[in-house]
Amino acid sequence: MSASQGRTTTAVKLVLLGEAAVGKSSLVLRFVNNDFEENKEPTIGAAFLTQKCTIGERTIKFEIWDTAGQERFASLAPMYYRNAQAALVVYDITKPASFIKARHWVKELREQATKGIVIALCGNKYDLTVNDEAEEDSGEVSETSKRKVSVNEGQTLAEEEGLMFFETSAKTAYNVNEVFLAIGKKIPEASQNGGANPSRGESQANGRIDLSAPVSSEDSNACAC
Amino acid sequence: MSYVTEPRRPSMVDRRPSMAERRPSMANGRKPSVIPQLAGIEKPISPQTPETCDVLICGTGLVESILAAALAWQGSNVLHVDSNPYYGDTCATLTIDQLKDWVHSVNQHTPGFQGFSKALLYIPRPQDLVSRDYGIDLTPRVVFARSDLMSLLTKSRVHMYLEFQSLSNFHTFENDSFGKLQTSKEDIFTDQSLSLATKRHLMKFLKFIFEYDSLDNLALVESYKDKSIQDFLQDRFKLDGPQINELVYSLGLSASPDISIPEGLSRIRRYLVSFNVLGQFPVLFSKYGGPGEVSQGFCRSAAVAGSTYKLNCALQSFDPKTKLAKFSDGTSAHVTEKVVCSPSQAPPHASYVPEMKYEITRLITVVKKSCREWMAENETAAIVVFPTASLSTNNKYPVQVLIMGAGTGTCPVNQCVWYLSTIQKGEVARKDLEAALLKLEDSILRESEDGFDVSLDPEDIIVKPDGATVINSVKLGKSFKDFVPKEKLQYLFKLCFTQHTAVPPFGVVSSSLFDTSAEKPTTDGSGVIPDSTVIYSNMPSTEISYDGVVTEAKLLYEKIVGSDDDFFDVDFENEDEDNDTLTDVAAGDEDAIIDDDEEEHSKAFKDEMDFDL
Repeated sequence: MSASQGRTTTAVKLVLLGEAAVGKSSLVLRFVNNDFEENKEPTIGAAFLTQKCTIGERTIKFEIWDTAGQERFASLAPMYYRNAQAALVVYDITKPASFIKARHWVKELREQATKGIVIALCGNKYDLTVNDEAEEDSGEVSETSKRKVSVNEGQTLAEEEGLMFFETSAKTAYNVNEVFLAIGKKIPEASQNGGANPSRGESQANGRIDLSAPVSSEDSNACAC
Repeated sequence: MSYVTEPRRPSMVDRRPSMAERRPSMANGRKPSVIPQLAGIEKPISPQTPETCDVLICGTGLVESILAAALAWQGSNVLHVDSNPYYGDTCATLTIDQLKDWVHSVNQHTPGFQGFSKALLYIPRPQDLVSRDYGIDLTPRVVFARSDLMSLLTKSRVHMYLEFQSLSNFHTFENDSFGKLQTSKEDIFTDQSLSLATKRHLMKFLKFIFEYDSLDNLALVESYKDKSIQDFLQDRFKLDGPQINELVYSLGLSASPDISIPEGLSRIRRYLVSFNVLGQFPVLFSKYGGPGEVSQGFCRSAAVAGSTYKLNCALQSFDPKTKLAKFSDGTSAHVTEKVVCSPSQAPPHASYVPEMKYEITRLITVVKKSCREWMAENETAAIVVFPTASLSTNNKYPVQVLIMGAGTGTCPVNQCVWYLSTIQKGEVARKDLEAALLKLEDSILRESEDGFDVSLDPEDIIVKPDGATVINSVKLGKSFKDFVPKEKLQYLFKLCFTQHTAVPPFGVVSSSLFDTSAEKPTTDGSGVIPDSTVIYSNMPSTEISYDGVVTEAKLLYEKIVGSDDDFFDVDFENEDEDNDTLTDVAAGDEDAIIDDDEEEHSKAFKDEMDFDL
């Protein structure tokens, strides 16, 4: 019924977490606005942002939920985590406090989210450190560097918690698509059952009613499929 | 209605620009009719506690959450707080642990829990319950497929945050047995418990319902003005007790026998016009919890439009002179326009909480049975109604029961949540609920027991048009009386409590409840009264559907903005998703659905009814 006929489309609910101003929204906007794949225009609803990408034979439709500011006073609703299959935990590599907060969000995800959620840890604002040549050689954080969280620290946290790890720059688009592609690859193929929003054709199979498609009066057997 | 709308204050007419208008691309003065796709995400988030807001809303119950979203999209700067660590307030969906705390707070008369009383909790084996596996609604509700909330959910796109499931089995307890409601032509035809004459009378009545607006019929109803709906149905349509009960209490979901004929008829009609709107079922419910889940959806919508959210934050006082609201966490906010507060979250020493003279008694229990026997195929919930005088207690008011199985996402597999409620008061109410509970227990044990034999003749098995077989329930009912169960039903959890409200049964909230025009003293001997200019919303009504919720939110909105003309007057940009034709239906003319379609739908129904028996 859609353009991508023959391919399976997996809807994946992805939630964003991270301290304010680490660049959560910028990362997503970079990803969504990049005119990725054949999709002509990014679709960003007021409800959540969506972006499709194709990985091999599969099409993944990301439904990206921004915190909408509700994390500010620790007031995220359970609805936010529900059925999330992927999460992006973002920190700012120039702000140590944001890295501490990232640990907190990982813990929160372990408590609140579905088991088996795919989590990617993103050290954002990589662009601010690319001029620090010294760091590229040593891997150490020099005192003059804007970088305050080393690659090692990020990697260690990721290893401890079993997360994917990337350093990204929403500004230069460095590693941005890579993060989402990596997440997409890790999403098991059969995971859409009970997942975020099954694409509409199959929606009624698991009892979910599509509110945006009223049945006409004539079509009296519509719900019996 | 005696209420006169205040003239719009000039300051309200020239309000600050809405979300859409604040966009730079809108600066050319074009009237924004469309909410841009990037709305919400563009807004830079200030890390500071807001020191100023236009409207402060206390309590994240459903009405308050709809109000917050409506105001936020209209352009108001909303600060929305809740004294609890969770969303939903008086209609929250809670885990077992949260419920334990809730019961404690109610019984301690903790501020923030006004409106509830006498909570009794019974958990026989606490170690068997994993708290987070449960989502128990304080105020469970179902939504009619054709209703104002359903339209609002689609229009506001809040439905995208939610999952809805259908509910089509409405059972009426009669003669010690559950009769499944017959509402379709096929059902009525195949029901062997109905005589041909009864079938004809039922058909005649259903036809009448769809022509209710004709002058003849209005005159007919008028001539019965002083009679009850029960008399009307009996007199005019020759219907018997069981059919009348089904129509009034199951289709109509009336919580009281004292109901006017027009009100009763409109409630029956509500069911019938909802049938076949989204499928062959009249009502839906949201997965993972009812109003608690829906309020989270509206709160998120409000947040996307820029509202600030703060849980664990209780209003302490609002000083009408300085316009300063103080909170339990030591922060404060300057409120430029209005403060709206749920009665449950009234500040300490409040003086103006509306009197709540109506009661709803609820009994919520989790049983170790799937209760699939009561549900339609592929569904996970059902409704059971005990009409008046159908219980051993000779109940004066009906007992309404919402059955929620594991598929609703609110309890583990092979368990089921039963929500019983009545508008009866005090101890009598609790006895009625216990009596109903016993009947439910007997019934589910009988229906689910393996090897339970009823001698059935071939004609007792009815094959429905869809191929499903149904056993003649009258026969089962007879055997039911002699049935002695081999097992006991295991109750894992039982909670009973009383809820108070100012909204009368069947009452749609009247605007007089929000009347703030009268001058109230703002101080007394001991100092400033903390709530003299606070607008109180209401505790949830007894209504088991969501009807009335949107009306109340609109009344409050009007109170704040001056008119409800632009209540959710937003048009989200079409998503235009990969030419998916199904989704194109979404952003169509939701506004028009209710009026235009209803007529068409009624006609289709009438056509369908045009046949001879």
